[in-house]
Amino acid sequence: MEVLAVLLILVAGAAVAVWLYIANQGDAHFQFIVDQRTDFTLAEITQAAATFKATVPFVNNGTQDGTLMDVFPRHFLPGEQFDAVDTDVRLTLNSANRSDGYWEAYIVPFNTGGAVILTVTFTAKSGDIREALKDMVDMPIDIIFQVVARSPWYIDKNRLVMTAAEIHKALAAGQQAAVR
Amino acid sequence: MTEQALALKPVPTRILTDKDNIVDIIEHYAKEDIGPNDVVSVAESVVAITQGRIVRPEELQPSLLARILCRFVPQKGSLSSVYGMQAAMNAEGSGRVAWAMFLGMLGKLVGRHGLFYELAGEQAALIDDVTGTMPPFDKYLVYGPADPNGVAEAIKKRLGCYGAVVADVNDLKRAAVLGVTPGLNPQEIARLLIDNPFGNASQKTPIVIIKNYGSAAQRATGQ
Repeated sequence: MEVLAVLLILVAGAAVAVWLYIANQGDAHFQFIVDQRTDFTLAEITQAAATFKATVPFVNNGTQDGTLMDVFPRHFLPGEQFDAVDTDVRLTLNSANRSDGYWEAYIVPFNTGGAVILTVTFTAKSGDIREALKDMVDMPIDIIFQVVARSPWYIDKNRLVMTAAEIHKALAAGQQAAVR
Repeated sequence: MTEQALALKPVPTRILTDKDNIVDIIEHYAKEDIGPNDVVSVAESVVAITQGRIVRPEELQPSLLARILCRFVPQKGSLSSVYGMQAAMNAEGSGRVAWAMFLGMLGKLVGRHGLFYELAGEQAALIDDVTGTMPPFDKYLVYGPADPNGVAEAIKKRLGCYGAVVADVNDLKRAAVLGVTPGLNPQEIARLLIDNPFGNASQKTPIVIIKNYGSAAQRATGQ
């Protein structure tokens, strides 16, 4: 009986030691630092469409390396709120720019990070993008990301807002640059 | 007649998938370049992909044991993620992997490193975690190929070359031959491939022809 009790204590002790080791080891933890993003600037404009870009930093501030399996943007511009444009939003890794909208799984060592370039293209349903964007509203964009690390995969998201004011400001700056 | 020199010739292909047969692909892309004195080498991860030996993390159910054991693998290892560990357990058996881990830890205590990979089974060493290969397979774990010797034999038989190998080569100056046709020296072939002529990024050159290997080998042996 005493032998059994000693064995149980040893097993319990080993389990606690492993649990403490895992808890102390921690895991990857990702965050897209939306409040440190750059302003959107006008990248390209035609009669019908305008493209804006901003850079959003991210960090793995956990204690383990982690993989950003997938990262994609989701914009929120319901037709009930604003119906003058079609909207396309995509992102790519700043350090390995891709134009196909594909996110290549990317290992991020702990305590490091990077940045993504967020590209938003508005296409006017009327054919004149400057006219269409006059009454544009603030548009939230979620950056949704899937993480694989030590623990089972999970999906998280951080939200930023592309404001109507910065769209107008970027359009104006683009117009001034074109005049010069 | 001038003697032809040994040379490595990478062969570009399109992205290969589990719909492809690797021997058909080699015939399609490289047949004109392969001579009777050449050795055809093919990247093991691409062979595995064409065999369908891939799995997405979302398709695996990590066990409690996998969640614990992956914590004892250094971060750079493919088995350090819970899915890499679960994939190894699915391939080699949970008990075998757990026992290998236990003995591996004991081995380290007495200065014997690498025991885990020796005991856990071939797949434990061959599994590539996500990001291990080019898109669209960057989001998959890739197992080692099945029957690499058989694959090498099939290549030689179809292409009429001097020999064929299935090789595991990376940019860290590590090369190993997993499958080989009789008469070839795996260590020598691995040395020839050490600079990774396959490329591990998006080079899309999973086939490398070792030109004139047969005649060079015959010269070396004085035949």
